[in-house]
Amino acid sequence: MAPLTEPSAGFKFDNVKRNQLLGDKGYKLPTATKTGTTIVGLIFKDGLILGADTRATAGPIVADKNCEKIHYLAPNMYCCGAGTAADTEFTTNMISSQLALHSLNTGREVRVVAAMTMLKQYLYKYHGHVGAALVLGGYDVTGPHLFTIYPHGSTDKLPYVTMGSGSLAAMSVFESRWRPGMSREEGIEVVKDAIEAGIFNDLGSGSNVDVCVITKGNAEYLRNYSTPNERVQKEQSYRFTPGTTEFYAPRVARQAQEPAEMDTSA
Amino acid sequence: MNRFVEQLAANDVAELGMPGSLLAGPTAAMAGPTGHGLSFELAAGNNPAEFAQHFIDAKSEKDSLIKIAHGTTTLAFKFREGVMVATDSRATSGNVIASQTVKKVIEINPYLLGTMAGGAADCSFWERVLGMECRLHELRNKKRISVAAASKLLANLVYRYKGMGLSMGTMVAGWDEKGPGLYYVDSDGQRLANDIFSVGSGSTFAYGVLDSHYRYDMDIEEARDVARRAIYHATHRDAYSGGVVRMYLVQRDGWVPYPLEDVGDLYYQYHPEVQLTNRTESPLTVVPA
Amino acid sequence: MLSSITQAPVEAHSHNRWEPYVDNGGTSLAIAGADFVIIAADTRQSDGYSINTRYDPKAFELSNKTVIATTGYAADAKRLVEVMEQKAQSYFHKHERVMSTPAMAQLLSNTLYYKRFFPYYVFPILAGLDSQGKGAVFTYDPVGNMERTVYVACGSASALVQPFLDNQVGFANQRAADPNRLLDRETARKIAIDAFTGATERDIYTGDWLEIFTIDQTGVHREKRELKRD
Repeated sequence: MAPLTEPSAGFKFDNVKRNQLLGDKGYKLPTATKTGTTIVGLIFKDGLILGADTRATAGPIVADKNCEKIHYLAPNMYCCGAGTAADTEFTTNMISSQLALHSLNTGREVRVVAAMTMLKQYLYKYHGHVGAALVLGGYDVTGPHLFTIYPHGSTDKLPYVTMGSGSLAAMSVFESRWRPGMSREEGIEVVKDAIEAGIFNDLGSGSNVDVCVITKGNAEYLRNYSTPNERVQKEQSYRFTPGTTEFYAPRVARQAQEPAEMDTSA
Repeated sequence: MNRFVEQLAANDVAELGMPGSLLAGPTAAMAGPTGHGLSFELAAGNNPAEFAQHFIDAKSEKDSLIKIAHGTTTLAFKFREGVMVATDSRATSGNVIASQTVKKVIEINPYLLGTMAGGAADCSFWERVLGMECRLHELRNKKRISVAAASKLLANLVYRYKGMGLSMGTMVAGWDEKGPGLYYVDSDGQRLANDIFSVGSGSTFAYGVLDSHYRYDMDIEEARDVARRAIYHATHRDAYSGGVVRMYLVQRDGWVPYPLEDVGDLYYQYHPEVQLTNRTESPLTVVPA
Repeated sequence: MLSSITQAPVEAHSHNRWEPYVDNGGTSLAIAGADFVIIAADTRQSDGYSINTRYDPKAFELSNKTVIATTGYAADAKRLVEVMEQKAQSYFHKHERVMSTPAMAQLLSNTLYYKRFFPYYVFPILAGLDSQGKGAVFTYDPVGNMERTVYVACGSASALVQPFLDNQVGFANQRAADPNRLLDRETARKIAIDAFTGATERDIYTGDWLEIFTIDQTGVHREKRELKRD
């Protein structure tokens, strides 16, 4: 490679083979935070409801007990993300800004299919290396729309969907309880129960339920709609008396003791 | 015929004096002059040794499911007064410190010591077996076993399992009719005699100290100081060694242990300029000397 | 006899290698006192992201003064406990007295080592009263390396719990604390509970129920508490 050249924009795959080889030889590659997740969405009478749990994991460890997995895309559109946390975050962010520009250019509210197409084209370009599995929901001039988008770029359009490691648990709730034309209260209850099925039965999902209700001309983000996993009280206090912790007595260089006036006149 | 039934019939080898093998799997029975019915259950399959090594790789921990305690600094040397044996006390499993209080000096009998490096269970188990063999030797021959014979017994014991994944690097130290004895024995079957040995991941650091300060003519205090410094410096630079310095001296009347010395305390002893404080009120200034 | 065994009894799958072990998660700990010992374990049994069962006890009484707790591969753990129970029973009937805790500890070590070439994939801890009536905790690696300690944590959350115990039970990094001081029974129990509620917060494999065994002169006392289920 020519020295001192500015790298071109976009991802580079130069090191994919090298990293694979190193991995095979037993070197541990750094792992990205994955949101082993339960995310869902359903269509109800007046629009659609998105739901997500709030656990982020790093391997077997809970990295964040109350993260946000329902991302803003546009005033009439939200998107749940599962998979690699950074990828869902940055993909939705980037598409969100493109949607804003698109709506400014056209002078219209952007349609959900447009967002879906942009997301799938972006993800397909990277052949699954951008690890974002999404549930996209929004309400536009053509009505409510609900999509799932897989990391490789394929999409589905369905009246009720689940994704992430808790998708089977959540789908079991939807399959038994969803029906066309549900009321808002019913819909929220079913979404909450579906997410809680993931929270309690899938180890990758946990903590709280976030809900987002999108209707014609309105989106309502119900952060921590349900909190079924509050931390229990500790049995005793673990306060230490001041001075419990020892530390090195600092060493000071002789020069540092002399006050050095900096010349600031120039 | 049913293979399991065949195995059952073939496997009435006593397991630790208990009648009948509890599990009907293939076993590696230890026959021959030192066989006392030790029988190890093996995995069914074409190559039990390969299986054992795959899952319990004791040499490189990478990807092996079962991690066994590892990482060590041990040393022993002969000198004018006898044999000095010193070890650290850390056990690591992967990159976790499993213990800081391991006894890596194994008291085989009042005149013999063994050290532990490599697989901890391998060392303690086979040196326990060695202790029994040494006692049997005493009963049969009405005199104590020589260090040479004892170490050879151990080498022969583990050589039977060569290639099966045992991991053991040990020093056998003692006193017999010929005086002080010191041998190195490992799980490859190697057995060496010498005046100075150090084994384990921290051994390179320990050898550095030993080679520059060791003299045969040292008195006990000098020998203790060299051994202590060798272990201390190894624990300082080797992440897989640490805990306390455990020291034993073997002389004509058998071994004696010395009090344990925490390597954390030794650090402040060897670096008096480093001061600890817990002052909470404006502690971050020091009056210049 | 080995020559008659030419094939693994289990069908090889995926990578053409027999994979006989699974990690079923779970956490256990033990804390020794002057005249008692506490040993506790959660009861979640999992495989990957799935919970197999919320109540699969990991701690078992081997006698009225010794309890064993195991983490790792649940099937091996079950078998190991069975074997230890058999051996404890047969000792009891042969000698007409209960095996002492240190004897049971050495027996467990040997039992593990006799499967050195096909190990039980378990991380056992053994707790009980020694011959002087003091609390004793023994820890093991899967092939039988044994050590007597005052406290220990094992299993999927051991890296979270052990440093907590080092600080609260071993008084590590506490200036002027006596590292050899033993805890009283109530404090030890509280620390055990807080260790598990804390571990449940951050380790996905720990949760559902907590079983606490307290062993003293009067015998073994069991307590069952709820943990979070997410």
